[in-house]
Amino acid sequence: MRGGLELANEVEVEVTVNGQPFKRRVQPRLLLVDFLRDELGLTGTHIGCDTGHCGACTVMLDGVTVKSCLLLAAQADGSEVQTIEGVSRREKLHPLQQAFLDHQGLQCGYCTPGMILSSLFLLNRNPNPSEDEVKRAIDGNLCRCTGYLGIVKAVRTAAATMSKEGSA
Amino acid sequence: MRPRSFEYHAASSLGEALNLLSKEEDTKILAGGQSLITLMKLRLATPASLVDINSILELNYIREEEGRIMIGALTRHDQLATSPLIRGKCLLLAEAADLIGDQQVRNRGTIGGSLAHADPSADLPAACTALNAEFKLTSKEGSRIVETQDFFVDFFTTSLRQREVIEEIRIPIPSPRSGGAYGKLTKGHNDFALVAVAAQCSLSLEGNCEAIGVVLGGVASKPTHATETEGKLLHECVDDRMIHESALKADAGLDPLPDPRGSSELKREMVRRLAENTLGIAFRRARRA
Repeated sequence: MRGGLELANEVEVEVTVNGQPFKRRVQPRLLLVDFLRDELGLTGTHIGCDTGHCGACTVMLDGVTVKSCLLLAAQADGSEVQTIEGVSRREKLHPLQQAFLDHQGLQCGYCTPGMILSSLFLLNRNPNPSEDEVKRAIDGNLCRCTGYLGIVKAVRTAAATMSKEGSA
Repeated sequence: MRPRSFEYHAASSLGEALNLLSKEEDTKILAGGQSLITLMKLRLATPASLVDINSILELNYIREEEGRIMIGALTRHDQLATSPLIRGKCLLLAEAADLIGDQQVRNRGTIGGSLAHADPSADLPAACTALNAEFKLTSKEGSRIVETQDFFVDFFTTSLRQREVIEEIRIPIPSPRSGGAYGKLTKGHNDFALVAVAAQCSLSLEGNCEAIGVVLGGVASKPTHATETEGKLLHECVDDRMIHESALKADAGLDPLPDPRGSSELKREMVRRLAENTLGIAFRRARRA
C-alpha cells in the first residue's frame, strides 16, 4: 500500500546495461523502453510508434534485437542489454556509426539508434551481407527521411571496414 | 499507452507455471509477448496477472524423435526459420516462420504464443495445419494431445483451457518425396497476411500425389483446408495444368470478410492465384526431393 492506492506487486530487476549492472524495484507494467529512458536516463533508445511497428526502440537483449516497447522491464531481469549508448568504442565511433555519418544514413536521426542495433545484429550474424540481406535485416526499422539508400550503403561499408579490422 | 496494473510472476519451470496458473483467476501466460503486450498496452487485454514463461528453457527445443519433429512451445520464430532440421525436413514451417513480422519480432515471438493467440491471419497456425501437427496441451491434471482441427475454434479462439499451456508441437516428418511451400500476400511491408497458402504434398514412387494439404490463412475465422483443391490433386499424377485447375477451386465455399485492404472478391482471386503459385513450388520441390 502506498498513498492509499493499492499497487500490484513490485518486482526486482537486476540487469546489466552496456556492461554496467543496475538493480531497481519496478512495477510489473513498466516497459523496458521506459525503464531505460526514465529510470536509467538512457534516452538514446527512442519511442516512435509505441505499438511495435517502427523499430525505433530496438535494443539488444542477450545478443538479439528486440523492441523494448514490447517487453516488460521485469523480463530483462538477469539479462544483458545493449543500447545505442553502448555501441561506440569508448570515445571512438563504432564503424557502423562512422559509416552512417559518412554516407548520410540519417537525417533527423530519430530512427538511427534502432537502425544501428538492427544492423549490428545483422553483421554479428552475417559479416558480409548483400544489399538485399541488408534491406531485409532493417525492414523492422522505419525511416521517414533518408529513403534508406544511405543506410544500406552505410551498413555495407561498415561490414567491409569491420572485416578488414577483423583480419588485420 | 501503458498496460493496466497486473501481478507478475516469472516461472522457472513448467511445473511452477502450471501451479501459478491453477491458483490465479484471470491469468495469462506471457510468452514472446509480441501480441499480448500490444493488446495490454491498448487495454484490449487486461489480465489480473501474468505468468512469464520466458525463463523456462526446457520449453525451448527443436528435435527429431521417432519420425516426428518435436518443438518446444517457447521456440522463437527465428529459431524455426534458421533450424537446419526444420529447413531440411519441413521447409514449409521454416518459410512461414521467416515471413513473420520483422527480425525483432522473430527474435522474440514464440510458436506456442502464435498458436495460442490464434490470429486467423497468422502464419504458423496455417503452416502447422498443413503439416498435420499435433499439440501437447498440459495442465496440472496432466496432458492431452489435440489435432489442429480440434484446436483452432474461431477468430482468436482455441480449445486451450484456462489452466492449460501449450507444451509441445509435434510434426510428423513428411515422407522423403515430399515438398512444401508457404506463400503470403500482404498489403504492405511486414503486414499480416491478406491471404496466405500453406501447401504440403507427398509423391508415391510412381509420382502420384499420395498426400496433400492446402491450407488457407487470412480468409476465414481459422486456418481452412481448400478441400476441393486437395480432392482434385490427391492420387493424381499432378502436372502444371492440374495445379492450375485445382487452384481455381481453392476459394470454393469461402466468404472472406471485406476490409479496407481488399474486397471479398479480391481476396478470393488472390487465394486462387496464390494457391496455384504455392502448389507449383511445393510440387516442384517434391519432384526434386
